Amino acid sequence: MAVKRSTILWAAVVAAAVVLILLWKPTVLVYGVQRAGLYAAVAIPMALVLGIVHIVNLAHGELMMVAAYLAYFVANRLLGLDPFVAMVPVALVMAAFGWLIYKATIKHALKAPELNQLILTFGLAIAFSQIANLAFTSQSFKLSLSYVSASATIGDVSFGVFDFVYVAVAVLLAVGLRLFLQRTRMGKAALAVGQNPRGAAIVGINVDRTYGIIFSIAVGLMGIVGSLFLTKQAIFPGVGGPYTMKSFCLVAMAGVGNIVGVLYCSLALGLSEAVINGIRGYAGWSNIVFFAIIIATILVRSYRERKR
Amino acid sequence: MRRPLSFLIPLLALAAAALLPLVSGPYPLAVARSVLTYMALAISWDMLLRSGQISFGIAGFFGLGAYAAALSVLRGGMSPILSILFAGVFAGAVALILGLVILRLRAVYFSITTLALAEIFRVIIQNWSDFTGGPEGLVLPKLIFNGESKSLYWLVLAAVVIACAASTMFEKSRIRLALSAIRNNEQSAAASGIGIFKYLLVAFVVSSFIQGIVGGIQLQGYGFASPDAVFDSNYTLLPLAMALLGGIHGTPGPVIGALLLGIAAEFLKLHIPYGHLVVYGIIIVLVILFMPQGLYGLLRSRRHAVAPVAENRVDAGAWGK
Repeated sequence: MAVKRSTILWAAVVAAAVVLILLWKPTVLVYGVQRAGLYAAVAIPMALVLGIVHIVNLAHGELMMVAAYLAYFVANRLLGLDPFVAMVPVALVMAAFGWLIYKATIKHALKAPELNQLILTFGLAIAFSQIANLAFTSQSFKLSLSYVSASATIGDVSFGVFDFVYVAVAVLLAVGLRLFLQRTRMGKAALAVGQNPRGAAIVGINVDRTYGIIFSIAVGLMGIVGSLFLTKQAIFPGVGGPYTMKSFCLVAMAGVGNIVGVLYCSLALGLSEAVINGIRGYAGWSNIVFFAIIIATILVRSYRERKR
Repeated sequence: MRRPLSFLIPLLALAAAALLPLVSGPYPLAVARSVLTYMALAISWDMLLRSGQISFGIAGFFGLGAYAAALSVLRGGMSPILSILFAGVFAGAVALILGLVILRLRAVYFSITTLALAEIFRVIIQNWSDFTGGPEGLVLPKLIFNGESKSLYWLVLAAVVIACAASTMFEKSRIRLALSAIRNNEQSAAASGIGIFKYLLVAFVVSSFIQGIVGGIQLQGYGFASPDAVFDSNYTLLPLAMALLGGIHGTPGPVIGALLLGIAAEFLKLHIPYGHLVVYGIIIVLVILFMPQGLYGLLRSRRHAVAPVAENRVDAGAWGK
């Protein structure tokens, strides 16, 4: 019962906020939802890895950056593919890359203390962003696609609609992963490994292989997200860094293993960021809201867990 | 045999470092100054790490120190030396207040929170333009010692000596035992009556104090602070890589690591202007995978293998599991 009551409470708070925003500035609502979609799409693969492999991948945002560079230089410049087409080959290449990363590095740190895993992926993050820096300098690249500026008008409010792609992708990823984990043999095995690796090994699941596949799926999904990221955003070597932090924060807020929860948390954060952005002269402060909410949530969560 | 030597080596190193300005030209001196800056940060990071808490917020307290020093001179009219002390005290005080809350977090939650805090500091300073100068930053009217490079070098060296002294004190006193007990098994440490929180707070405040001082010195040496310059993630990244390469959980490791990586980075910077930091990333990955005890740890275990003296087993405890 207690859980249900808090859910209703949350729904009421969010609904009230939505109504207030609608009355104040309707576009803020649209941009908040779009922003939330992007955050969720980036964070969901990290939630998958954290929930099953139990690794905090600090190179997560950098993998998106690598995918975006792949989509830009190989797929777009070399082969002339649109990012929407390029995301398929990029996802496949990234999945293979993820498998490689798992086999070469992460696998060997799984049994090490958490410190080592954190620093290992931190090192990977630096290596990726600096290799991009080395190869393409810190110059930023951007595609100019005509369809990203598509807009719609409702009443007397007009707004860009392209970014709803991120919302769609985020929902698809969440639903798809949930189905994969609950319906398929591989997914069920992965869930079992995530719950109890030793138990899973006893009943004959190849734990190492499952970890590898899940990590590679997550990196592959970053290929899709990275390609879509390229459609509208400028890319540069440091572009992924903030997303690593934001993704982790979202995953921590939602609770480890709760993929659908990432959607709700992204919505709350996307909206509050958009609200701050909407206040004239305070746009620069929006990041602080994000981090303040995150720190508060992590604290509340950890205190609550301690009480239990 | 080892006792006198272990006193002699740091003293000789200190003497050599102190005499360096008398024999070297301006360029090597500038390199040495930057190496020493990172060395002090690396030591301070390691001091907190010994409790098992990984901070990714070195740049945050470094930047906070730099701004505290700049503002205390520009708005408070403090003398440069006093402003550096103020920078340390300010960073330490902020760490004390924040530490009361965030040191209850463990593992990755603590790490991410420190990273987020560094970002929050940056955003506050960038947006509070009236007081902090905003994104354009602040410029001091004149440098400390009028920018004389030898005195500046000695000033940074003094910060390193403070860091080493604090770190050695941590190693020789009960704090070391408390911190490694917390790192190895927090519950059993608490059960044996160790006031975990008190020791964590001391370690966090002292390490932030040192980071603040180093930030203050950096500001006084260059006379310029902007949010992007002083909160640069390199101030987190480089010390971390240095301490890891040299060997964590002790004073000598970060010192050795800073010397090697700092000098190597200068050479790389000359040849590869963009992306020379890739070496740092790769070193971090390789060290974690193949040499988690670092260079100094490797050296020690080599020596232990040759002469397994009973006395050494006490030292080995400091290296954890």
